[in-house]
Amino acid sequence: MLVESPTGLHYPITVVELAKKPHDDIQRGAPLFSYYYETTVTEGDKYGDEKEVKKKFRASFESSKAGTLAEWFIRNGTVIQRAGAKLVEIDEPCTHETQFAGMCADCGKDMTQEDYMTDRRDVDRATVNMTHDNTSLLVSKKEALLAEEDAKRRLLGVKKLSLIVDLDQTVIHTTCERTIAEWQNDPNNPNYEAVKEVRSFQLADDRLANVAANWYYCKLRPGLKEFLDKVSTMYELHIYTMATRAYAQAIAKIIDPDRVYFGDRILSRDENGTDQVKTLHRLFPVNTDMVLVIDDRGDIWQWSDNLVKVRAYNFFLGAGDINASFLPKQVGVITDAAPTAVVESTQTVGNEAEESTGEAQVVSIAAKPPESIVAPVSNGVLTDLEKQLLTMSGGDNPDLLERQSKEQEQVIISQQTERPLLQKQLALEQAEQTAEAEEAVDNAEAPSPEQHKHKSLLHDDDDELIYIEACLRRVHRAFFDEYRKKRTAHQGGRIAELRGEKSPKKRAPDDLEIVPDVKTIMPRMKQAVLQGVSIVFSGIVPLGIDVQHSDIALWAKSFGAQVSTDLNKQTTHVVANPSRKTTKVKKASRHPQIKIVTTDWLLQCFSKWERADEQPYLIPMDPDEHGAHGGSPDLVPFDDLEEGPLLSAEDEDGAITGEEDEDELQSPVNVDISDETWQSLGDEFQDFMNESDEDEDEGTGSETDSVNSENSVETSSTKRSKKKRKRGTGSVDGSEADDSDASVSSSTGSKLQRKKKRVLERVTSLTNVVSADKSSGLPSPDTTGPDEGQENGLGGEEDDEDGDAELEAELLAELERDDDE
Amino acid sequence: MFFLYELEKTIQLHPSFFGPLIRSHIHRELLAKEEGSNTGKYTIVCILDSFEVSEGQVVAGTGHAEYTVHYKAVVWRPFRGEIIDGVVSSVIRSGFFVECGSLQAFVGRSMIPSEIKYDANATPPQWTDNAEQIIEKGTQIRIKIKGLRSEVDKMFAIGTMKEDYLG
Repeated sequence: MLVESPTGLHYPITVVELAKKPHDDIQRGAPLFSYYYETTVTEGDKYGDEKEVKKKFRASFESSKAGTLAEWFIRNGTVIQRAGAKLVEIDEPCTHETQFAGMCADCGKDMTQEDYMTDRRDVDRATVNMTHDNTSLLVSKKEALLAEEDAKRRLLGVKKLSLIVDLDQTVIHTTCERTIAEWQNDPNNPNYEAVKEVRSFQLADDRLANVAANWYYCKLRPGLKEFLDKVSTMYELHIYTMATRAYAQAIAKIIDPDRVYFGDRILSRDENGTDQVKTLHRLFPVNTDMVLVIDDRGDIWQWSDNLVKVRAYNFFLGAGDINASFLPKQVGVITDAAPTAVVESTQTVGNEAEESTGEAQVVSIAAKPPESIVAPVSNGVLTDLEKQLLTMSGGDNPDLLERQSKEQEQVIISQQTERPLLQKQLALEQAEQTAEAEEAVDNAEAPSPEQHKHKSLLHDDDDELIYIEACLRRVHRAFFDEYRKKRTAHQGGRIAELRGEKSPKKRAPDDLEIVPDVKTIMPRMKQAVLQGVSIVFSGIVPLGIDVQHSDIALWAKSFGAQVSTDLNKQTTHVVANPSRKTTKVKKASRHPQIKIVTTDWLLQCFSKWERADEQPYLIPMDPDEHGAHGGSPDLVPFDDLEEGPLLSAEDEDGAITGEEDEDELQSPVNVDISDETWQSLGDEFQDFMNESDEDEDEGTGSETDSVNSENSVETSSTKRSKKKRKRGTGSVDGSEADDSDASVSSSTGSKLQRKKKRVLERVTSLTNVVSADKSSGLPSPDTTGPDEGQENGLGGEEDDEDGDAELEAELLAELERDDDE
Repeated sequence: MFFLYELEKTIQLHPSFFGPLIRSHIHRELLAKEEGSNTGKYTIVCILDSFEVSEGQVVAGTGHAEYTVHYKAVVWRPFRGEIIDGVVSSVIRSGFFVECGSLQAFVGRSMIPSEIKYDANATPPQWTDNAEQIIEKGTQIRIKIKGLRSEVDKMFAIGTMKEDYLG
């Protein structure tokens, strides 16, 4: 080990004599060399005078290390000016690379001892903790690096990556409610089928002393066995959970009874060191190139690039994560429950959020019309909406810990005493009865199939694992494809080298250096999923929370989507709460290229890693809603949408074209409608505005089935024409309004011509946009992409017309249907 | 190594235990508190029957009575250089952990004979010389203590199996 000149000496010092030669054995504390230093001292003589005298003092330098002297860096007479200069190299018999509980694992010496010669504490030589189940074993950085390289070589050899698996709500869901046991014992219970497979266990060393002999009920996520089976061929699996060690081991016993998948690679809260975050560096201190993580929470991983976030598995509704009280608080996301439940589900925090989400769901089932017998199926998905935000509260002080464990205790107690599940099942049954009664009175059009069998509260219909497995497979393949590619390229280089051609590199790099990085491969794959999608959230993120940093937004961004707070030209999707028609939704509904979808669509995309078909997730729009606003002459927010982003947008051109397109699409529809109809519609809208604008929720609640996108189109056009009248032309906005006007009253030939001309002038991406509009339900490529498809104007027009015809037919059909009703 | 040791312990008893069975209560309390505990130097293995209880003294304020108990116990104290038997509790790349009763020992890679290699691909991971010697979780093993360190209620040791008759 290299010995440097320490601080605290009186520099400069001059070496006088070296006491040892190379290869000499050195004891700790033995003098290495002698030196002198100069300083001024005050001397008094016999007459009482004092004077400052420069004096030389000799001193000897003692070795702080034992070993064999390897090399001197100083000679007799060398002047050392400052601390930190190289003095001597000493070979130590043991470098204490691995330390166990303050002792060196190699020589058994106590590392915590310190004395006056200690310049660097021995315990600091090994600071990296990389074992799963022990906190007292520490290794040095060098040792950790070696270990990791070893592991990498081994994994590359067997073509595997590392996968860190979270337990709670990712692969399993656990609750403490006794109700489960009762249901399990009662084959007649509607939930019997669902809970049949639930495994229960007790923890011997339960810390919650007053909840003695607590039974845990653990439900495996459907398909877990197959998942582990398949994934373990591609990945080396680790468990990393925020639960206690005992709990983690109990779960591991259940999901991996033969210990073939996880072995002993289990890391729990007890070993993690902190309760707040999980970090890859705890297990892979140096290099995380080959590591993937699956977890249901992104915040505790700081949205690491290695993370594959999965939907939370919520089987026992309302149970949440029993170990979550140790994690940063979750912030609930407003769920798309039925209108009646909205008030309940807004802005609740943490476990309360989970509780109330569960509650809201039950209500929502009850509120749905009886023909939706499939309604409960969506349940498993609904609760997944509860999301969380990174709220890093301070470190792990004992008070906090105390409070957290109290909280956990409380959660468990409340689960045991209140039995939310039982309550919910009762509520569900009750709701069913009322629904049945209602049905009898109403005699609804759709005959309800076997209503009399009680619906069960719990549903075993989660298929997330299948998707995760597919994703992991893709990453695995991409990784090793790239590795192979790099390797062949590299070997080519080596052959060239062998041939005698001079290679710029002296030494062929280690195989490990060409290992591709999952952190670049995976984001690349993910980014492609929602590339070009621009999302606006509405009624999803609770008030008072920054949308950009909300969980769902971060998640969407990790898939390449853009998230903005307000509608603008780039917006392609509005993710909304179907039960609440917010201003943004209403605004967006006037733009056919903006798809208004539920969060389920987003979650589908997330879990499948591909752009899901929007069609099943579109939120039907009420014509009333549109009418209400379309009729209003001075609706300011709409203007915002028109001009604000238009001017600010970088690609003004593209943005305008997009707008034009929309107008053109709308124009044929308007032609079909006579002026009288027009007038009457306008009046109707006006009326609606007057009466229902203030009381929006009621209007929504009524949910009349006469949803009609056509109306929205009209209204927006009306609006525009009105606006035109109000304002002068000339500015960009003016011409914009001009356009719309032209489209509205397409009888004015001159305007149309002018417009055509402009279209010709502007080489745009018309077709692109139009095709997207045409197939509104299908994944559309980059609807707002500015000038990528340099098409000429005429071709654009043609395509346009095709699109128009289709749209026209569609809209007409819709209109007719409405009339029938 | 095991020793017979004379120890002293102050026990506080709740007033509800005062009565004719007070001695058995004290005895029970002593057993519950002391047996299996670790002082940092040694572990109390077993408390022997013969013990002396001092006069009780009521603690002001709480009503608890305080008794000083003298007792004999079998204690176990590990020494450096001692050879002990244990069970392997965990196997990792840098060595393996051994449970020797209350003592947790670690045998590092350099303390394992060089012919025994780490095999991470085996399930569970193991140290093996590809013959009859396999060290995995649950294996019984004999090690020599090379270093000892104690914290408040725990003892740690570094072990070696690189000498004759060990392993």
